[in-house]
Amino acid sequence: MLAVGIVLALIDQGGGYFFSLGTVFSVMQLFATFGLVALGLGLSMLVREFDLSVAGVVGLAGCIAVMTGVSNPWLGVLFGVGAGVVSGVIQGLIMTRLHLSSVGVTLGGLLTLQGLTYVLTENKTIGYPNIAVALGLNAPIGGLVSVRSVAVLAVFVIAALAMTYTHIGRDIIASGSDRRASRVAGLKTDRVIIGVFAASGASAAFAGVLLSYSLGAASPVALADVLPTAAAAAIVGGVSVVGGRGSPLGIAAGVLTLCILRSGLSAIGVEPHVHDLVTGAILLAIAVLDAPELLQRVTAWRLDRAERKA
Amino acid sequence: MPILAVDGLTKRFGPNEVLKKVSLSLDAQEIRAICGENGAGKSTLVKIITGVHAADAGTVLVDGTLTEIADPHHAQELGIALVAQELSLAPALSVLDNIWLGNREVPLFHRRKELRDRARAALEKVGLAELSLETPVSRLGIGRRQLVELARMLTRDARVFILDEPTATLSDVEIERIFAALRALKVEGKSVIYITHRLGEVFQICDSVSVLRNGELVGTRRTAEINRAQLMEMMLGRSLREMYPRWESRPGRLMLEVKDLWVPPVVQNFNLTAQRGMVVCLAGQVGSGATEVLRAMAGLAFEATGEVRIAGQPVLLRSVTRAQRAKMQFISEDRAGEGVFLRLNVGQNLVATRLGDHSRFGILARQALRATAANLALAVGVDRARLRSQADELSGGNQQKVAFGRAIGGDEPGVLLMNEPTRGVDVGARADIYRLIRQFCERGYCLVMASSDIEEVLGMADVIVSMYRGRQVAIYQRGQADLHRILADITHPVAAA
Amino acid sequence: MSELSLGARFRLSGARARHLVLGVRIVAGGAIAAFALSTPGFISPLSINALLNAISLIGCVAVGMTFITLTGNIMSLCLGATVSASALIFLASLSFGVFAASLIAILFGVVITAVQGFLVGSIRANPILVSIAGLSLLIGGAALITGGQRIYPSGEGLQMFKGRVAGVPVEALYFFATVLIGQLVLSGTRVGREMTMVGSNPRAATAAGIGTTSAITYAYVIAGACSAVSGILLAARYGSGDMELGAGYDYTAIAAVLVGGTSIQGGSGSVLRTLVGVTVIAIIEVVLLLRGFSQQLQYLITGIIVLLVIMLHTIGERR
Repeated sequence: MLAVGIVLALIDQGGGYFFSLGTVFSVMQLFATFGLVALGLGLSMLVREFDLSVAGVVGLAGCIAVMTGVSNPWLGVLFGVGAGVVSGVIQGLIMTRLHLSSVGVTLGGLLTLQGLTYVLTENKTIGYPNIAVALGLNAPIGGLVSVRSVAVLAVFVIAALAMTYTHIGRDIIASGSDRRASRVAGLKTDRVIIGVFAASGASAAFAGVLLSYSLGAASPVALADVLPTAAAAAIVGGVSVVGGRGSPLGIAAGVLTLCILRSGLSAIGVEPHVHDLVTGAILLAIAVLDAPELLQRVTAWRLDRAERKA
Repeated sequence: MPILAVDGLTKRFGPNEVLKKVSLSLDAQEIRAICGENGAGKSTLVKIITGVHAADAGTVLVDGTLTEIADPHHAQELGIALVAQELSLAPALSVLDNIWLGNREVPLFHRRKELRDRARAALEKVGLAELSLETPVSRLGIGRRQLVELARMLTRDARVFILDEPTATLSDVEIERIFAALRALKVEGKSVIYITHRLGEVFQICDSVSVLRNGELVGTRRTAEINRAQLMEMMLGRSLREMYPRWESRPGRLMLEVKDLWVPPVVQNFNLTAQRGMVVCLAGQVGSGATEVLRAMAGLAFEATGEVRIAGQPVLLRSVTRAQRAKMQFISEDRAGEGVFLRLNVGQNLVATRLGDHSRFGILARQALRATAANLALAVGVDRARLRSQADELSGGNQQKVAFGRAIGGDEPGVLLMNEPTRGVDVGARADIYRLIRQFCERGYCLVMASSDIEEVLGMADVIVSMYRGRQVAIYQRGQADLHRILADITHPVAAA
Repeated sequence: MSELSLGARFRLSGARARHLVLGVRIVAGGAIAAFALSTPGFISPLSINALLNAISLIGCVAVGMTFITLTGNIMSLCLGATVSASALIFLASLSFGVFAASLIAILFGVVITAVQGFLVGSIRANPILVSIAGLSLLIGGAALITGGQRIYPSGEGLQMFKGRVAGVPVEALYFFATVLIGQLVLSGTRVGREMTMVGSNPRAATAAGIGTTSAITYAYVIAGACSAVSGILLAARYGSGDMELGAGYDYTAIAAVLVGGTSIQGGSGSVLRTLVGVTVIAIIEVVLLLRGFSQQLQYLITGIIVLLVIMLHTIGERR
């Protein structure tokens, strides 16, 4: 399935205008915007949960960072990411202590976080006066990347390393693959779940902070539609909705694929609505090709036809 | 010095006394079977020993020392390890990772040579020396998975292994592997508590057996000193001659014809004819194809091919709807996963296949459905008072009866396909189910049953079809074959058909 | 030992647990009712109207979402866009007359969701992915056809959906009709019962010969029809439309479904429960408004209360 995405991305390059430095840069910028949100959501999917609240965390963290990071941008990062961690831990605690399912809890979390964001900002857009940071984050380095996209790539690399070389990765996959079995085997699955949600909150929060800094403003409605894109990116990247399958690198590839699609299509000059259509078609194709019972239905149908003729 | 002993153990749940002053002791290098009907107290005893419950009275002694087992983690530290029926392996991880899953000793950066060596050593002890550590557990069959779990226990320095119904879903080869592993453990100085319904195995592998009945310990005997009949009497308190009902075979018209049934990749060239009023048993172990044949006939196998006729009418495979229209109904062996809707009530479960009969223009006739549910409950012996209870509140035996009830109830008796109808059902309820089967026979149903329990096959069948690795080995009429013959057929047939 | 004791505390036997949950729900409902009734100005025509207006539009979508959740497909992220698109189609077809336009819009909504339902039902495609794909295709398709312009009514007939009958806004009547039809379909028809069974245990449903494909497809079809109804009402209310009309409806709809007590895992729930859910959320919003909370605080408190109610429901469900 990953291969499908890459192949499509390659086909898409036939537009001719694709391989220019400018395109790569815009791809990486998009990647920086969506990547960490997809990582957070993808991590929660790995343990067979679904963190709807990432959209809310992005907005809230961005606002907090902008409000607290005027003098010292690192302070804003600290508070913003901290807010993400806190939100993840609280939701994780609710889910594990009370044995609740994540969709309900994170939905409530999403609404609460959005509400909090509205309250803090009093429904206005808050500007971030520290222009230097905004420009610095987005300045192209070698024409390909910016500080922002490098930071995001670094987070992905750290996540991938942690998953592969420490037992954290094993524990996460085990909890997603069969939580009951892992718990019986002695794994403290509660801690794993809470940790995953803390990480997803932190990841989405960092994305929000970076975005707000680079836009020079934080708005309560920033990235309200990020959820479908992040989910699609994670699924395209090989994360299974029922848990136990996937990796940070896979998620990164999924995000890249979608970003290449979007940038590529803009680069060859199609209008925006076409790339919604193309994205939709590709997602549909992946959904169909990846469907568990596709083979069964087709085989049964074929055999039926053969037997009816006889 | 016994490695583990309990004395006067008593446990109450609400008003029920589930364990009454049970005392037994286990020596090192002993393989002890624990037998008893469902509800006799076996699982409660195990839960106390493994730290899940605390006893209300009585003591537990480990190596002669009085111990209070606080929780499962403490039990593991004491060296008591449980391999439950539901395994605790994560399918997505490799064998190596599963062996170390949940082990508190594992350091943060986990790819250490020491971990691999210890895992390899444990695997060798259980007979899995050739298995690669990186194999994903999802690719292993159940038999091997159990051995991996045993290996995990070894790395935690377990000394007492408790195995709960380990062989229910294993083939003969896999069972032998487990036995070999247990014998190896015994040589190492470990002890085993072996909980099973399969009395044959008690005599094959265990040194001694303790029997529980209604929460009390009936007695502990060395297996060399008693025989099967005596064991059964200890378990039931009465002799078990009436388990299988007696009947007179009265086969009617030809009902079922199966020709050239192929179910890739297992079943090859299966053929069968059966009449009304007859019970055909497909005898075979896991992997013999008996299950696959039934599921294919039921319409659940999407790649099955072959000719099936019911009462002379051809029926196309690969569709449950078509099979049902031809009056062929399937009763699964997996109640919770496939047979029963746990969250719905008993009444709704019973009429699940009858909705078409009682709806006009798509609208349900509720009164008629309720009446049908009540009738079906009566027919299979489920208390009508339980019609509104949720299905997951019923015992395994009652759930199986509900599954039966769902399969009958059409106007005309048809074909019933039953896969392992008494799996996980205790002895008392089994007798009820056998009676039901015979009743349906008399009403004109044609029953095809797959079972790996040879005694059950011999007791119930008019015709026995023995199967091995997807092929029919032989067909016997009632009385033509005995236990040894069929056992040979399904394990090491001399000439496959 | 802490993990065990918590588990033991919640391990009540089936019937007792259900009674406890029922009791808790009644108390919670009573608290909300008391809170509402004690608010000055709540029982006034103005606020009742505001209440009915608030629930009618989102309520229709929530009814549709209920069917999708019941069949075990969690949620659809595409219903909001279906609402908007149906509204646009409705406005554009008004030149054929009101009834024809309504029919066309509903047909459109049905087709959009039927395709999704068929894919999910027959080959078990990932429902979330399919709904995201549908969302993209709808947005793209709409942009292609309308070129981003607002759509205005091409004919007369919007009056049907405005005004009052016996003091009740017409929109609310359509909503209640939808609720009624939806509940009757769910509890009284064979397909409705099959949907519940499919959501409860898909494997058992297949083994029992229940048409899983058709049950799930019908569930999606109903969701599409309900969304289209909502779109028609929206178009009538605002007199013009674009794809922003239904944005965000998906989350509020699923919140209403969950607050009402339908299980996210499928197999348990009803349309009436969603009605309760929609009403509860609307009551909270109106009450907060009347009590003078700022719009931001309203949003926040609503979110927190939704979280609490959802927690309340799922506590009872866990075995």
